[in-house]
Amino acid sequence: MNRLSLKERFQLSRFFSGEKAVDEPVKLTHRRIFILPTYRGLNFAILTAFLLLMAFVYNNNLVYLLTFLLASIFFITILHSYKALAGLVLQKGQSKPVFAGEAAGFTIYINNPVDVERFNLQIKLEQPESLTIKPQSKTCVTLYSLTQKRGWHTAGTVTLSSTYPFGLFRVWSPIRFNLKALVYPKPSLQERPFPEMPSTNIQKGFSQKGTDDFYGLKGYQPGDSIKHIHWKAFAKGQGLFSKQYSSDSSEEIWLNYDNAPGHNTEERLSQLCRWVIDAERIGIPYGFSLPGLKLSPDNGTTHTRKCLEALALF
Amino acid sequence: MVRHTPESVWKHSPCFKSMNSVQNKSILIFLLASIGLIAFPHINHIPKAVFAFFYLLLSWRFIGIWKQNWLPNKPVIFLLTVCGLALLYSQYHGVFGRDAGTRLFVTALALKLLEIKSERDLYLITYLAFIVAASQFLYEQSLLMAAYILFVCSILLATLVCLNSTKLQPFTALKTAGIILVQAIPMAVILFILFPRVEAPKWMLFNEKHQAKAGLSDSMEPGSISDLGMSDELVFRVKFTGALPPPPQRYWRGPVLSYTDGKKWTQVKDLRFRPILDKPVFTGLPYQYTLLMEPQDKNWVFALEMPADYALPLSQNANYQLVTLENPDKRTEYKITSYPGYNTGAITRIEYKDAMQLPGDPSDKIKQLVKQLHGFDSTSDYFINELLNHFRKEDFHYTLTPPLMEENPLETFLFETRYGFCSHYAAAFVYLLRVANIPARVVTGYQGGELNKVGNFLEIRQADAHAWAEVWLENKGWVRFDPTAAIAPERIERNINIDQLMPGGIINYMPADAAQAAFNWLKQSRQLWSNIDYHWQRWVINYDNKNQSGFLSSLGITDIKAMLYWMVGSIGLITALLSWLLLYQKQQAIDPVVRLYNRFCQKIAKRGLLRGPCEGAKDFAGRVKIKLPEKATSIDQITDLFIKLHYGKNSTPDDFKLFKKRVKSFKI
Repeated sequence: MNRLSLKERFQLSRFFSGEKAVDEPVKLTHRRIFILPTYRGLNFAILTAFLLLMAFVYNNNLVYLLTFLLASIFFITILHSYKALAGLVLQKGQSKPVFAGEAAGFTIYINNPVDVERFNLQIKLEQPESLTIKPQSKTCVTLYSLTQKRGWHTAGTVTLSSTYPFGLFRVWSPIRFNLKALVYPKPSLQERPFPEMPSTNIQKGFSQKGTDDFYGLKGYQPGDSIKHIHWKAFAKGQGLFSKQYSSDSSEEIWLNYDNAPGHNTEERLSQLCRWVIDAERIGIPYGFSLPGLKLSPDNGTTHTRKCLEALALF
Repeated sequence: MVRHTPESVWKHSPCFKSMNSVQNKSILIFLLASIGLIAFPHINHIPKAVFAFFYLLLSWRFIGIWKQNWLPNKPVIFLLTVCGLALLYSQYHGVFGRDAGTRLFVTALALKLLEIKSERDLYLITYLAFIVAASQFLYEQSLLMAAYILFVCSILLATLVCLNSTKLQPFTALKTAGIILVQAIPMAVILFILFPRVEAPKWMLFNEKHQAKAGLSDSMEPGSISDLGMSDELVFRVKFTGALPPPPQRYWRGPVLSYTDGKKWTQVKDLRFRPILDKPVFTGLPYQYTLLMEPQDKNWVFALEMPADYALPLSQNANYQLVTLENPDKRTEYKITSYPGYNTGAITRIEYKDAMQLPGDPSDKIKQLVKQLHGFDSTSDYFINELLNHFRKEDFHYTLTPPLMEENPLETFLFETRYGFCSHYAAAFVYLLRVANIPARVVTGYQGGELNKVGNFLEIRQADAHAWAEVWLENKGWVRFDPTAAIAPERIERNINIDQLMPGGIINYMPADAAQAAFNWLKQSRQLWSNIDYHWQRWVINYDNKNQSGFLSSLGITDIKAMLYWMVGSIGLITALLSWLLLYQKQQAIDPVVRLYNRFCQKIAKRGLLRGPCEGAKDFAGRVKIKLPEKATSIDQITDLFIKLHYGKNSTPDDFKLFKKRVKSFKI
């Protein structure tokens, strides 16, 4: 773990939003673990003060003893609170791209390398989740963060906290990872026909279903749509083949930024996004062009991903 | 592509969670059971109505765990609150003070039980329960009670553990709470020893009349002491610094009874304090001892005859009896020195008058007896000897259950029944001496005491209550005579075995035979327990301002500043020890191969290439090679060696050496 400068050490933000974002796994130590009494803990302190008064007034040694026992328990709970988090190793995992408006999921791996069971930990990005980690085991938890805009979505601080064992103290550790998720534009809700392609000689009003006429089989190539795989042949053990349709060659479309309807960039991108999804679902090869980018017509997840990434980062 | 709907995420709202814990059956059972246990010893301390009210509401709440609908709604709770207040008012004992406070907290706890809405309420109930637990100690401070409360407190703490770890089994929660409790004990003990004890200011003390405690009465009517004779209750304990006095010398002096109306013997009204200079002349070796008095309702302190040195708050009255100037309600320790031999010197005029008092003229029958024993025509010594012989030779018996002697008890005892215990003999003896013109008086107190062999101290119980006589003799002063010793010397030599006392029967003295052996283990364990109890009373219950300063100065802690330093120092030390114990985490013994490989990964991580948690070594190598083509060969070599060493079967020590060398020389 890198060292902190004196100035960084006294930054108040360290208590709430954590230290600067990192990629490496983070081990929870005294530097990152903070403990403060809860309201219940403060009330417990008031209880012990009351018992002390009772012992004083009645000069009763057993009440004194009970008071001191409770006070010691209160004190020792600080150590147990610290123990609830200490030694855990957090590591960020991969995140999957989402469409704008959805919650982006970030996987966090938590490793408990010691012989201590961690009860009722709360991990929170935007909403808390509780989890229990067995001794010497790993667990992963997916935290969600609502996205709004396309582009790179950065998640804030992940806070791991616990009130174990008595709820008198809250121990927490704010950690910032470089949690980034790619957010695609939100697909337009309106269903619009694909743009007409003047370069191709297709009559107006062609059927959008370009999968009508079976043409033949060809050897499967990575990137071929999964829907076109000849599963029967595969099941017979004859190998992977992709079905070819007559429309495949003729019905390729071009999804072009300039052709996309919409009042502004976002609406156009949103429409393009919708088209990409629709075209992929139907299985028409589609070319894709944005200002400064041109992808030749194709099908398959890789192609779709490339298109959507381009849309997200446009 | 999986779409995550936000709705699936929002499930764990805090509100949802708190509702869960409030309805969690095992938590509620835990909490209610511990509260039921915590309030139970109050059965003897608070009025039955309040006690019943508490357990009624507790059972109601208990049933409510399963029948949610049966729980009272708001108006009913309000009504119950009014009921509770009315109940408290009807048992009115003021607002402050032990009894009123205990009732108030018990009632409040019962009412709060019916209103559990959030986790906050559960905490409030737990805290109230702790207060009720503490209130038990205001009534009883025995070791057993302390152990009981400690046990119940650990259940309360376990409830808190359950609240903060939803998946925990109740037994594990109890274990966790117990462990933390045990860890807290050393610190609590340090605080207990070092926390300055200051007496509460007078205005804070609530004057309350406690239940009368059993003890010697200030009058004696032969027959009135028989109940005390049976009681096993502890009166005081004595620890001698040197040798113990032999049993025949163990007379613990109490009130002196000089006045009699023929039936009843009482103290003379006008008891002045004896001038300090007017002390007896002491002879023999002194006995130094510490006397720990149990709470009494009279301010008498039973010193070994004859007390010579004592400190305030003790003082001596005109009858050489020690009295304390403090409230006897508290268990107190006194340091006293006594001498077995003493000469009180001349008799004062008032003493003589008191010691010669008779209720009217003695009857002819008595005069006849005194005359027959040469009471009127010989020396005092001779007559006393004759009288004791008379008791011994005639058919007199010692019993704790003598027949009732309503009319003229003295003559009935002397001439008819002849069954009696110490009071009868002492009263008759003194009366006859006075008839013979010899100044005499009855002394009450305790005689004997059981030696606790474990702790080497004497325990004096109510059963040891005794009455004897004191006769003033020329040149000797007041001399002790015990007529009971004449009739039942065993009574003085050896103690009555309380365990074998049969009601209505004549006392059995323990014979030294097999029957005793059978009871030996019982007696030993009883003595062991008494010893523990003695130290518990002495060092824990009775650890007050005085004891504290005495104990601490023996450690070299004299002022409050040193006390503070010691407190902070020892708490720091305990904390350091506990931290080490709790927080030292044993690192898993990692396979050296894996450790080396991790080092290799760390080196690569400097370039921002992280091995995923589940990424295989080969996949990782493949990924890294694309980014670092110039290192491809060494990466491959290291990865292959790692796979061979870690997963393969036939790896050689040379492989490991090579692996180690390559990882070390790998630079990035």
